[in-house]
Amino acid sequence: MTEMKTAEAGKGGSGSTIPAIAVQGLGKRYGDHEAVRGLSFEIGPGEVVGFLGPNGAGKTTTMRMLTGFIAPTDGMVRIAGFDIFSDALEARRSIGYLPETPPLYPEMTPESYLDFVSKIKDVPRAKRAAAVERALERCGLLEVRRREIRQLSKGFRQRVGLAQAIVHDPKVLVLDEPTVGLDPIQIREIRAVIRDLAATGRQTVILSTHILAEVEAICQRVILINRGRKVLDQSLSELTSGGASLEEAFARVMTRDEAEEAA
Amino acid sequence: MRHTGTIAARDLRALFLSPVAYVVLTLWSVIAGTFFLASLIGFQDRQIQYQQFQMLQQIQSMNLNDDLIEPFIGSMWVIVLFLLPAVTMGLVSSEKANGTEELLLTSPLSIWEIVLGKFLAGMGFVTVMTAIVAFFPAILFVYGEPEVGKTLTGLLSLLLVSMTYVAVGIFASSVTRNQLIAFILTFVLLLILGMMLPFIVDLSMAGSGLGTDSAIAQIVRWMATGTHVERMLQGLVDTADLAYFVIATAAFLLLSKTVIESARWR
Repeated sequence: MTEMKTAEAGKGGSGSTIPAIAVQGLGKRYGDHEAVRGLSFEIGPGEVVGFLGPNGAGKTTTMRMLTGFIAPTDGMVRIAGFDIFSDALEARRSIGYLPETPPLYPEMTPESYLDFVSKIKDVPRAKRAAAVERALERCGLLEVRRREIRQLSKGFRQRVGLAQAIVHDPKVLVLDEPTVGLDPIQIREIRAVIRDLAATGRQTVILSTHILAEVEAICQRVILINRGRKVLDQSLSELTSGGASLEEAFARVMTRDEAEEAA
Repeated sequence: MRHTGTIAARDLRALFLSPVAYVVLTLWSVIAGTFFLASLIGFQDRQIQYQQFQMLQQIQSMNLNDDLIEPFIGSMWVIVLFLLPAVTMGLVSSEKANGTEELLLTSPLSIWEIVLGKFLAGMGFVTVMTAIVAFFPAILFVYGEPEVGKTLTGLLSLLLVSMTYVAVGIFASSVTRNQLIAFILTFVLLLILGMMLPFIVDLSMAGSGLGTDSAIAQIVRWMATGTHVERMLQGLVDTADLAYFVIATAAFLLLSKTVIESARWR
């Protein structure tokens, strides 16, 4: 408890050592199936982390637990020092979340939608218009701000989803496969937005993907999970230090994990 | 609770941006107009009959409230049962279908704020419906002298029934992501709650040895909305009837809250 009080006191202070995301012994069971088990890691403020794993490894389940959408069966999550359940409102205020499918209301315009999101994310009234404007601009949505979301292309919808995640200027961004299903140009644009956010140095980002190039393009650190367990947690430079490509490094880790699992 | 208004405003706007709201309001207005006209013609016919047969006592006891406004509103509340499911079906189910449930549940909102926001949006809509119905008795005030109190009690009963049904609709909408299923479920629940309970009681109780006046029969009959509307339509404002509407509404809102919250524990 004392730890949490310091977390609150340290809020807004510079150089706080409280991790942006702290995960301890996280687990989720669906009946007999363990989707995630014993997952622990810490992510410091300003870090950009790639959360990797094959399909069905438990990436989405983990992200849903990080954001408090679903409750874990074991372990705990703290966002900027706040427990995602006992301090739910504070923790949720600190998170921007882009789920696997962008959570959009098709009949709204990007502008009215972001205004709505800024209200439910507790952006103070005086700052709301500016916050919406900044999110529209950062995600390149100015030209479509008054079009209905249902009429927008998939790339634009993904950008509206991203704008929704950043409109309240959260400390922590959780992005679940932000570039899935987009064409190469759209992918490049979305990555550029994420990189810009990361470049501010204040923004903590955890993004899930199974595209290795994406990790190389954006992230400093990689967490790899397989069958619900963490199998690797390393900085990108360490991983590729021996001149090995990221692909080779992963192949090695995955084969070793599969072998251990079989044994 | 400060987000309740935000949710309500968004949902109400979404309702009025969809064709459903206009289809429902058009049908509602046409039906109200037709029923009102029918009640009016019926009223006149009876007056003429009584005059032909010199039934002075009956003519004197006839009045606009008991013989025109009451049967009119008494038939309109049944129509609510058919039209309202179309309005409430998407209130929660569309959040699941759009994936916006994930946005709401990861925002700094309480589940109550979400449920009450949706309830307020529904209330906004049924207020418009009640206002449309109120327009017809209002015409009578130009040509005659109906009792204001009795007329308002009738309209209040319509609003209270609608309130209860909005809560039922939100509950049905929260258990599925499919709007059609939500529609059918709401309709079935309203049919049972609104009309069928007394019949079910009479049928089952008469068959069993309990009799139609047993305690259970009385409780089930108390649960039927019809019982309470009809009493209010006669101009009786009884706390017991008001309590019924408030309790039923609160019960279904509590159920909705529980169902929405359960998404976290799956």
